[in-house]
Amino acid sequence: MRRDCDHLIPYIANELKESERIAYVEHLKDCTKCKEEYQELSQAWHALPFDYTEIAVPESLKGEVLGFVFDHQTKSDTETFMAKMSKLMMKFKSHFTPVSTSILVVLLLAIIGLGIANVQEKNRHAANIPIEILTTIPLKAVNQSHTGTNGIAYIVQQGSEKNLVVQVHELPGVEGSQVYQVWLLKNGIRENSGIFKPDENGSGILTYQLAEGQTFDQIGITVEPDANSSQPKGEKIAGS
Amino acid sequence: MKENYDAELMILVNEKHGHALEELYDRYIKLVYGFVMKFCNGNEEKTKEIIQLVFLRLWTTNSQYDPAQGSFVNWLLTITRNICIDYHRKEKRHTQHYQEEHEEIADFANVIEQRVNTNDIEMAKNKLPTAQRKLIDLLYWKGYSLSEIAKLEQEPLGTIKSRLHQALKGLRKHLELEDIK
Repeated sequence: MRRDCDHLIPYIANELKESERIAYVEHLKDCTKCKEEYQELSQAWHALPFDYTEIAVPESLKGEVLGFVFDHQTKSDTETFMAKMSKLMMKFKSHFTPVSTSILVVLLLAIIGLGIANVQEKNRHAANIPIEILTTIPLKAVNQSHTGTNGIAYIVQQGSEKNLVVQVHELPGVEGSQVYQVWLLKNGIRENSGIFKPDENGSGILTYQLAEGQTFDQIGITVEPDANSSQPKGEKIAGS
Repeated sequence: MKENYDAELMILVNEKHGHALEELYDRYIKLVYGFVMKFCNGNEEKTKEIIQLVFLRLWTTNSQYDPAQGSFVNWLLTITRNICIDYHRKEKRHTQHYQEEHEEIADFANVIEQRVNTNDIEMAKNKLPTAQRKLIDLLYWKGYSLSEIAKLEQEPLGTIKSRLHQALKGLRKHLELEDIK
């Protein structure tokens, strides 16, 4: 124990090796004499730094110190990243001979090539899904002045997707911002399912994607003053 | 309260909050600057470099300040002093002017110390015998280790250790007397 007590002074002066320091801290817990002495002497030791005259700190120092610290941070971040990358490369190199590297490259290229071919094949397959017409709904003129208006609506299915296709002929022409708007009527509620403008022959076509499970009772086509109607404002021209 | 606030600031610094480091700078730069200037004999360039390293250490350290182990100021000054010592050791290794250094120590002169300083510790230190005062200056302010000083003074290490013991005891006594006055 006597030898341990000798470590008091080098401990205060911060001169013990890490293992000695840890041992002395343990010793300090049990040795009353050292504990007392340590309290007394370390107080004097910690008073030592206050033996200086206060000097005005240059204004520019703050920027120089904090700038140095934060710059160092960014630099060391980049360095660690670069170091990690080069370490990875070294590891890679040590694991692969030139022959195995070239084999690996060839295999990787083959995998990528096959992957691309596979995706293209799938796309072609998608294009090949047959379109099935589920329902055909004839559309008749409603307006007495244009009795010639006629058309047809289809519900078509491709894969899991259902579309409503509305095709109308001999429509009266529209002026300015006027458009034709298609409404789906379900339980007395009209839902907007798109607008279209007829060509110079009075023909127009519209495709509307039906939500999953969406059904309707009737189709109505009205002429609307502009493309912004959320409820029919204009005259009904045709319907199912 | 104060120690807790410093401990909280250090936690924020560990979590890399720049504003917390800036606050520590504002709170303690006067103390650190005065300390390092004294350690560097008033050399402003070295002082700047050391202070940069001190704050870099605070920013990158993984060790936590523990209020149970003593005041934050003591902790900060211990770090600062360690960096001062490292810096001067490295510099010494570069220049290797051991002989010159030795002469310089023999006639000890400290630019800052020559200024009038009437604070308690200064007064307490002045009451110590010359040998003890010189030991404290060499050890604390010049960063020489106990065994280096033994070699310089051509005395056994044990003598140097017990001289430091006496010096600290004496300081403590004089400081207490100052408090009573």
